[in-house]
Amino acid sequence: MKLTRRNFLAWAGLSAVGAVACDVIQDEELSLQSPASLPEDLVKGRDNWYATLGGQATDGEGVIVRVMEGRAKKIQGNPKYPVNQGKQSVRSEAGLQALYHPDRISGPLQRTGPRGSGQYRSIQWEPEALDILRRELRARSQGMVLITEPLRGTLGMIADRFATSAGGRHLGFEALDDTTYRAAIKGVFDQDRLPDFDISNANYVISFGADFLSTWKGSTRLSTAYGEFRQGNKRQTQGSRGYLVHVDPRFSMTAANADEWLPIRPGMEGYLALSLAYVIISEGMQAEGVDVDALTNGQGAAALAAFAPEQIAGQLGIPEQLHEGKSAAEKIRDLASNFMHHGPSIALGGDSAGAHTNGQFNLMAIYALNYLAGSVGSGGGMRFSPESPLGNLADAATVGSAQDWAGVANDIRSGRTRMVLVHDANPVHGLPASMAFESALNREEVFIVSFSSFMDETTALADLILPDRVFLEGWGDDVPEPGPGYEVIGMQQPVVNPLSDLDPRSFGDILLSMAQEMGQESVLPWTSVEEALKSGAEALYNTGRGTSSHAASADDLWNMMLRQGGWWDENARGPVPSAPGGLLNNIAAQAREPGYSGNGDFYLLPFAHNTLMDGRLAHIPWMQGVPDPITTVTWQTWVELNSSTASQMGLREGDIVSVATDAGSISGVLYPNPALPPNVVAVPLGQGRKVGSEYATSGDSRESSNALDLLSAGHLTESGGLAWAGHRASVSGTGESLKIAKFEGIFPARQIGHTAGEAVIIVTNH
Amino acid sequence: MRPSANIIPLAIVGLVVTGIVGFLVAIIFISWFSNPPFGLGNAPAQPIDFPHTVHAGSVEEGGVGIACEFCHRNVTEGAAATVPAVEQCVFCHQQINPENLVASASSSADQAQMQLVVDKFNDNDPINWERVHRIPDHVRFVHEAHIRFLTEGQPRTVAMPMGDGQPRQLPLTNQQACSVCHGDVASMNEVQPTGGQSLKMGTCVDCHRELNVGTDCTICHK
Amino acid sequence: MVTSRIDHKWGMVVDLDRCNGCQACVIACQVENNLPINDKNAFLQNRAYEWIRIERYWEGDYPNIKARFIPVMCQHCENAPCEPVCPVFATYHNDEGLNVQIYNRCVGTRYCINNCPYQVRFFNYWHPNWPERLQNQLNPDVTVRTRGITEKCTFCIQRLRRGQIQVERRAGGELNDGTLKSGNHMPACVQACPTNALTFGDQNDVHSPVKPYFEDVNRYNIHHEKERKTRGYRVLEEMNTKPNVIYLKKVDPNLGGGHHG
Repeated sequence: MKLTRRNFLAWAGLSAVGAVACDVIQDEELSLQSPASLPEDLVKGRDNWYATLGGQATDGEGVIVRVMEGRAKKIQGNPKYPVNQGKQSVRSEAGLQALYHPDRISGPLQRTGPRGSGQYRSIQWEPEALDILRRELRARSQGMVLITEPLRGTLGMIADRFATSAGGRHLGFEALDDTTYRAAIKGVFDQDRLPDFDISNANYVISFGADFLSTWKGSTRLSTAYGEFRQGNKRQTQGSRGYLVHVDPRFSMTAANADEWLPIRPGMEGYLALSLAYVIISEGMQAEGVDVDALTNGQGAAALAAFAPEQIAGQLGIPEQLHEGKSAAEKIRDLASNFMHHGPSIALGGDSAGAHTNGQFNLMAIYALNYLAGSVGSGGGMRFSPESPLGNLADAATVGSAQDWAGVANDIRSGRTRMVLVHDANPVHGLPASMAFESALNREEVFIVSFSSFMDETTALADLILPDRVFLEGWGDDVPEPGPGYEVIGMQQPVVNPLSDLDPRSFGDILLSMAQEMGQESVLPWTSVEEALKSGAEALYNTGRGTSSHAASADDLWNMMLRQGGWWDENARGPVPSAPGGLLNNIAAQAREPGYSGNGDFYLLPFAHNTLMDGRLAHIPWMQGVPDPITTVTWQTWVELNSSTASQMGLREGDIVSVATDAGSISGVLYPNPALPPNVVAVPLGQGRKVGSEYATSGDSRESSNALDLLSAGHLTESGGLAWAGHRASVSGTGESLKIAKFEGIFPARQIGHTAGEAVIIVTNH
Repeated sequence: MRPSANIIPLAIVGLVVTGIVGFLVAIIFISWFSNPPFGLGNAPAQPIDFPHTVHAGSVEEGGVGIACEFCHRNVTEGAAATVPAVEQCVFCHQQINPENLVASASSSADQAQMQLVVDKFNDNDPINWERVHRIPDHVRFVHEAHIRFLTEGQPRTVAMPMGDGQPRQLPLTNQQACSVCHGDVASMNEVQPTGGQSLKMGTCVDCHRELNVGTDCTICHK
Repeated sequence: MVTSRIDHKWGMVVDLDRCNGCQACVIACQVENNLPINDKNAFLQNRAYEWIRIERYWEGDYPNIKARFIPVMCQHCENAPCEPVCPVFATYHNDEGLNVQIYNRCVGTRYCINNCPYQVRFFNYWHPNWPERLQNQLNPDVTVRTRGITEKCTFCIQRLRRGQIQVERRAGGELNDGTLKSGNHMPACVQACPTNALTFGDQNDVHSPVKPYFEDVNRYNIHHEKERKTRGYRVLEEMNTKPNVIYLKKVDPNLGGGHHG
């Protein structure tokens, strides 16, 4: 037994001799490691803070990392980085635990048992592992698929070019893909990049389904803007507080923060948006200079007559109690007039609003409102970032839609694709079980290489595992999307070296060296990612703009980019799109009601978990242990039902319930949510991992399930994305119950400082 | 019953109890007054025999006279002194013999040790040094502030509870400042926690009180 | 050289109208201060803790329902109920306005925990365990607390001390709003908060953003609450614990019959 202070006190108590101060000494304090070499020792000083990027978990935040004696200690937002301005999301620090995770794959592995058996043997990088990769690439690269996380920047470009030159293709993977959102933005604004919203200067925001304060794209940036929107310094003096309306069938974090939450029938968001457009046009409320004739091919409000509030109000399903004593149609008219009279206004939409069979229509109708409000490209409106200043950098991720993945599965089954490369993507877990992607991969004819750092359902099927460095150990860059409205390239540098018991290799470097050996020097002329980045920096230096204008030489610029975390030019603004003629007619012509898969009693609304997202962070214990903001549940899959509905069904908190659709069924722990609409069942994604780190897989199947298994793989949006919000499900108790692992109730709820009205002040006008 | 029949076992029990109690008291007294207790915590075996005599020893004594803060780079800038990166070892030794790093050490025994360093460098492996000087985990000792006090400012004489307890003429040179607590490391082949240095709280507090540095608990306790 | 000390009185202002409940502060605190990982068991046994937590309250009934978020951390009371009950003086109020917990003095009576009306003191029921590799992340500036002692929010005193040494002792400057921000000496939660709901500063510093709120709330006590010029209030103000944390009320334009428009 080791002598610690506690033990000592215990003994001292027993022998009644008395306590002598003895020290708390942690084992880790006893040995020191010195790093083999400090990366680019540019920041002189006490603890070194290195600027880099926040990796996949943060969708491209700029961060600074505190490094002491070669060990990363803390990740914080980079105050200089234009996208997140020193702030960070709840997911930012996950990178530290990924870096020092006990379950990281330590080196190259080769499969020895049958596929999926988990039997691997350790091999050496040189020559064994790379020889196998080389051999298989030569034999099978024609038609191969490279599946990665959504990649942008240099690595995105390398992946694209590598896959294409080898005769295959590269697809980014996201469980809740953004293909429908992209298609809608393309349709309304003719832009390939996603927009940014100047919420901090807006006065009125209507958000349709987009959980932009939690998991939607750019949530950290939008949260900072939200803070200003509420109580920015300017607003405090002027008393003009921003007003947020959130239209969403689920009580999300954004709904919780909205001044007005309108639960709508899932998939009807587009109808409401067009109805607002009708009111705006028919009452001539559109912003100054908006050419309504061009938008409607000269028809005016008549083009949208079918969407007049009186026509459609009854179908939206907005509860009567929220009509403020008026008719449903009047409520819509009020909403339209507030939207127009309290500008600058923004209409934004995403997440569940776009995940219906009519999702693209919904989003297009929503975003078209911004033309009427005159908020495209204006302050307090929406804006686009310019394309990457370097033509060859990928400035938007290529993400596959559900349709694309079905195609990939077919190609593998038919033998057209005989090789699959996977990097930090887990389609076996992240695609609906009904797509049977696992069975497609689980064939002897296909050779699978995984470059992931952690074991997961997809990597477990691989023939060869070549673990990549995690983002704190590797080089990279990023063209943020959504960007801040001007040109930005973020730099990612290795801030620590891998620990001595780990032997990962850079994924990008391997692709580059393979390309060279396969004679593709012309498309990929670099030998390492670092070299590619340096050549990019040189090209940036030659532009002479932005950060480059402060640099004395290309080397100087390189150092500046590493120090401040990237390159940017605030003068290089993005395009201001103008409305295509007849836009509203086109959208109205696409209108159709959402189709629901299945016949259950409830609308099923899966959603991305606040910290685990679609499950990509399920192996990080910090992320598992953070309470969900609304339900405060941790570590488990909970099923949200309206509290009254649940009690009518005889269900109580902690009961194990089964949720079933046509495609499958899962079980989870019931959390009665007083704010959920009575006809909705909501289930978070993220859990239900079966293979991988203990942190991800420890829950049993009653309390840890994958909500994606409920989805029907063939239920698609117009643009081929998964219509994941358009299902109906039935819910039934199983008779079992478990204690729910939630934070709520651990500290006696005495509503601190919150006797009615105390913490809330009432203002009667806005 | 005659009392003498029971006196012997009773005496044995009494003696044993006295012995145990005396033993415990002795342990506690020795732990309190000897530092380190029982000589535990003397120089631990290091993965590489790094001779401070050669590196930090003065030129007259056959060393190369490298300043402490050249390798322990953070010591004048932050709380921890920090151990240098392997890179730094290699950097200097490359200046000595650019062709052959290992040959930059003179004796064959030293070359064997140098080989270890070179291997670590080539494998990108850190050297796991064992900590020699340690203060309890709940105490924050900021090297930088103390070095600044010892090496900057007007000439003055200060009674120092550290080291030999004699008043010292400040300011000191950096190397002298280090040796106040760490002893003459430059003359140690194997770094020892120097004897006679008390690391009790009273030592810190006395000095802080005398110099009006502040004695709020959170100055030192973290 | 030992220079004269600058008097600080730290304070925090929490704007409930900005807070969106995202939990970024919670995780930033956990990382900075070596809090043990809250595993599932900790939640099931009601022994999970966070130095700063987001409380969520329901208000109203569906569909007119609101969720209110309130971040709660140690209030660093001037009249702290936890201090007088500690038999070993492990907790005391220092001259910078901080309620301080000295871990190596604490013997774990838990009297302070029971006496804290804000429920922000936590007991280590278990020895904190991290898998070996994760220990590399631990912050060397913060003690790893063992089983059997009480811990709580420190306003990231290690960062303030670092700032005082770097800015005041070395450079002869002053630790104020600007230098706290530029030198990265703000408490981890304040630094992380994406919506800037948390503001931290020195109540003695005329330029500090927290000063006007403290002045206002100090001038008008609870009996004159209505006269306050700001939205400021103290939690459980009627207990007269005098916290060094001030909350700014949430604004709800739709309450009390008033409608938007």
